[in-house]
Amino acid sequence: METQYSNEDDIYSLDIESLLSGNRRSLARSITLIESSRFDHRDLAENLLSRIMPRTGGAIRIGISGPPGVGKSTFIESFGLYLSNKNLKIAVLTIDPSSKRSGGSILGDKTRMPKLAQLENAFIRSSPAGLTLGGVARRTRETILLCESAGYDVVIVETVGVGQSEYAVADMVDMFVLLVQPGGGDDLQGIKRGVMELADLIIVTKSDGDLKHSAQRTAQDFRSALSFLRNESDDWVPKVIPCSALNSEGIEEAWKIMQLFHSKLNTSGGLARKRGSQASSWMWAEVQETLVGRLRESQSAKKLAQKLESDVINGLVAPGVAARHLLNAFLADD
Amino acid sequence: MGNFANKNLTDWHQLVESELKGGSSEDLIWDTPEEISIKPLYTAADLEGLEMSGQMPGFAPFSRGVRATMYANRPWTIRQYAGFATAQESNAFYKRNLAGGQKGLSVAFDLATHRGYDSDHPRVHGDVGKAGVAIDTVEDMKILFDGIPLNNVSVSMTMNGAVLPVLAAFIVAAEEQGCSKELLSGTIQNDILKEFMVRNTYIYPPAPSMRIVADIISYTAVEMPKFNSISISGYHMQEAGANLVQELAFTLANGKEYVSTAVNNGLDVDKFAPRLSFFFCVGMNFFMEVAKLRAARSLWARLMSDFHPKDPRSLMLRTHVQTSGVSITEQDPYNNVIRTAYEAMAAVLGGTQSLHTNALDEAVALPSDFSARIARNTQLILSEETGITKVVDPLGGSYYIESLTASMEQEALKLIKKIDEMGGMTEAVANGMPKLMIEETAARRQARIDRGEEVIVGVNRYKNNDDDMPELLSIDNTAVREAQIQRTETIRKNRNKKEWMSAVDALTRGAENKENLLALSIEAMRQRATVGEVSEALEKVFTRYSATTRSVSGIYGSAYKKDAEFNDIQNKIKSFLNEEGRRPRMLVVKLGQDGHDRGAKIIATAFADIGFDVDIGPLFQTPEEAAREAIENDVHVIGVSSLAAGHNTLVPELINMLQEFNANEILVVCGGVIPPNDYEFLKNAGVAAVFGPGTNIPSAATKVIELIRQRSKAA
Repeated sequence: METQYSNEDDIYSLDIESLLSGNRRSLARSITLIESSRFDHRDLAENLLSRIMPRTGGAIRIGISGPPGVGKSTFIESFGLYLSNKNLKIAVLTIDPSSKRSGGSILGDKTRMPKLAQLENAFIRSSPAGLTLGGVARRTRETILLCESAGYDVVIVETVGVGQSEYAVADMVDMFVLLVQPGGGDDLQGIKRGVMELADLIIVTKSDGDLKHSAQRTAQDFRSALSFLRNESDDWVPKVIPCSALNSEGIEEAWKIMQLFHSKLNTSGGLARKRGSQASSWMWAEVQETLVGRLRESQSAKKLAQKLESDVINGLVAPGVAARHLLNAFLADD
Repeated sequence: MGNFANKNLTDWHQLVESELKGGSSEDLIWDTPEEISIKPLYTAADLEGLEMSGQMPGFAPFSRGVRATMYANRPWTIRQYAGFATAQESNAFYKRNLAGGQKGLSVAFDLATHRGYDSDHPRVHGDVGKAGVAIDTVEDMKILFDGIPLNNVSVSMTMNGAVLPVLAAFIVAAEEQGCSKELLSGTIQNDILKEFMVRNTYIYPPAPSMRIVADIISYTAVEMPKFNSISISGYHMQEAGANLVQELAFTLANGKEYVSTAVNNGLDVDKFAPRLSFFFCVGMNFFMEVAKLRAARSLWARLMSDFHPKDPRSLMLRTHVQTSGVSITEQDPYNNVIRTAYEAMAAVLGGTQSLHTNALDEAVALPSDFSARIARNTQLILSEETGITKVVDPLGGSYYIESLTASMEQEALKLIKKIDEMGGMTEAVANGMPKLMIEETAARRQARIDRGEEVIVGVNRYKNNDDDMPELLSIDNTAVREAQIQRTETIRKNRNKKEWMSAVDALTRGAENKENLLALSIEAMRQRATVGEVSEALEKVFTRYSATTRSVSGIYGSAYKKDAEFNDIQNKIKSFLNEEGRRPRMLVVKLGQDGHDRGAKIIATAFADIGFDVDIGPLFQTPEEAAREAIENDVHVIGVSSLAAGHNTLVPELINMLQEFNANEILVVCGGVIPPNDYEFLKNAGVAAVFGPGTNIPSAATKVIELIRQRSKAA
């Protein structure tokens, strides 16, 4: 492994061709590279990313979220099968940004798309949880770029976490889709107002059999709730549809809405603005992460930080004063 | 003649303190995995207030036995579970066993049949003839019972998923043999709830599966008065790692759910409840197992009285017992004869109605004629040489046993109430709660064994270095499959197409409506439909179920807190992470139709706790699907968990697939029930390491890390 990534010209010049040609193995290896925590891998990854940049941006980026048990995997599977039949290539990235673990993780157990996983047109990858939300978000954003360069037409980011993860995902995709279950009544299943505000499309799942009517009622509830949330000057008025993955009902409609969303925002320039502002906030997030990372690694800053931290804990120094002191010392040193 | 003074508990405590040199009897309390505290001494004081002392056998609640005379009149039925790859071989084996003194037959089916696939289905080509006999049509069933008088021999069939076509084939085969269905005796397992919990050989989702169970109960209640329509099984729960209270509680809760379902379908409880039978595991925890069987009977009688039956037999829990498969080991295999003998004794002291004793080589293979003979003789010696049969419930009235029986009953009842609060077992199973509880218990036990806290002679203590496994039976899967496919094709060609098609269509319509599916399946099988065709006809309406895999984490690792060796591995992983830029990543898969996932789940949770990133593949994957999942997630290693002997076909295919995808550097290791004879074959096929039963997980993890490093250096 030591030599695996070190001879860039040999391996990565080849890999880029093969990645751009859509080779499954190369895409998987490239994702491993950008996920790597080794510093020299970071350089290689950045080099790789700069070289593929011209070939990125071509996919519709869709974020999918929803409470556990709502049927995310079932929906994505039916949706993916539908797209594949239309000869589109679909990549599904599963992330769990809410779990910050220092140990090993169990992956892939929460997401099951057995039929989709067999299709030539599909690629499914789950990524281990990381130590920071920012770290997971960066890796996922870069993975989206890699998938685009490999020719995927639709990239779905599925989050299996709950809580903060919706914000992180909404900030890396074009369109944020929220899945909800039939029923739930007046409280709209305890979905936070903030999360509802992120949604460009709400899909009520399991609209079949006994639950069909309940799903339609729930869709109506969400429509009226949404009408109070957004103002009409937006490019896009969020839609709510019921859907049955079991009977493949609502899948086509979902895709039509996504296409409409995409073309509308493309025409208005909204999409470019959205991706632009995501890119710039990503840049600043990187600056922040890197800066704090470097500061924490700096030997001289570490000593000072320890002292200041204990002073702050003991109430000897105000936190704001200590922070400024630490930063000034670090920057002067650097 | 001496006169001895009466001594009481206080005297005893004083003596204990002096024997323990200042310690107290509290120090000798044993906290079992069931969280029951066992004291070093039981006395009459422990029986105060216990309802069960003084019960008479043959009367409800039956803690002392379901019959007044028990084995004093007639010993238990020796019923050895067996199935060989083909119907011919199994038939010959059955005949030998019947000649050898066995009274009932027990059929094991192969995995393809369990999951409702014909032998020529592309998803099952590693599974045909593995772990049991392949049945595609009535003709196979007729060969299976050729020359065996079905009106005299009771037949027990372990079948849950494809229960309709298989039971139908049995009925039609008997009918064509000249035995009408009223005369058939025996049992079909038909216990689908535990499949969703532990064994995973289901086909349809929980709700339609429960309807099938109800249809079978209704049909047999009227048409087959001597046949047990269901065998409510805790066996596989204990095998999957459940403790004895969990086994007891979940089994009875399942039974209760079946009874409610049938009663809600309008059936009179007395019409079917007397024909319900149970199936428990008996493992090495001797007295606890005896108590479990006694508690099971009295708890069932209490639960059933809520349904207000008039026939006292409706309150009766009759059970089959099999000795524990997980208790027997690959290492020092002759020890298994001894283990099985003790387990058999516990089962008999607990009052079982029939018994299977495991063969000494069953940890790694189907029994050979030699090992099957020893297993059968274990029971014959117990029954005919020891005098154990002469007295009913010989442990009844024992302070310890009676008190333990009461504790087991209380603890199980608590768990059953919890399930009632969830809305019954169908709900609980869909929610995954029982499965997770069992997996947690299994992970805890694995840690105790790996740490040597629970002794297994010859495995983690008193190891014998020259293992001498007797000659094992191995099966040429390809030959079996080809012969099977040919026979089935001939039948497909020669049947009456019109009759066949209308019978199969009637099934699909019957599934949409509320017709009895067993009656319709019998007609379809009579018209020579195959097991796969009947299953598919129903699948059109019911769909094929794919379960969500849930997994536990943290339990295995927490047993190792502050363990030096464990920290050492975690440090190895840290340096791996620093050098490679990521953690070692492993995909754990089960290939083919083998649904026993205890081993896979334990490996996954333990490796994750150790520090690996672990992907868990879905059940029933093909080698190609596993290879793709490994490649897309770019894992370092694939760990194949095998329990049902499909590895010799499926693992080489997996390695070929990896090569085809140009992913040679992904390692493949195997674990589970793999006969030592297969090790060399697998290694020649490119498997990097094979881990047999009883492998210590931390050392396996260390080995896997080393292998990954070696492979990446070579790359």
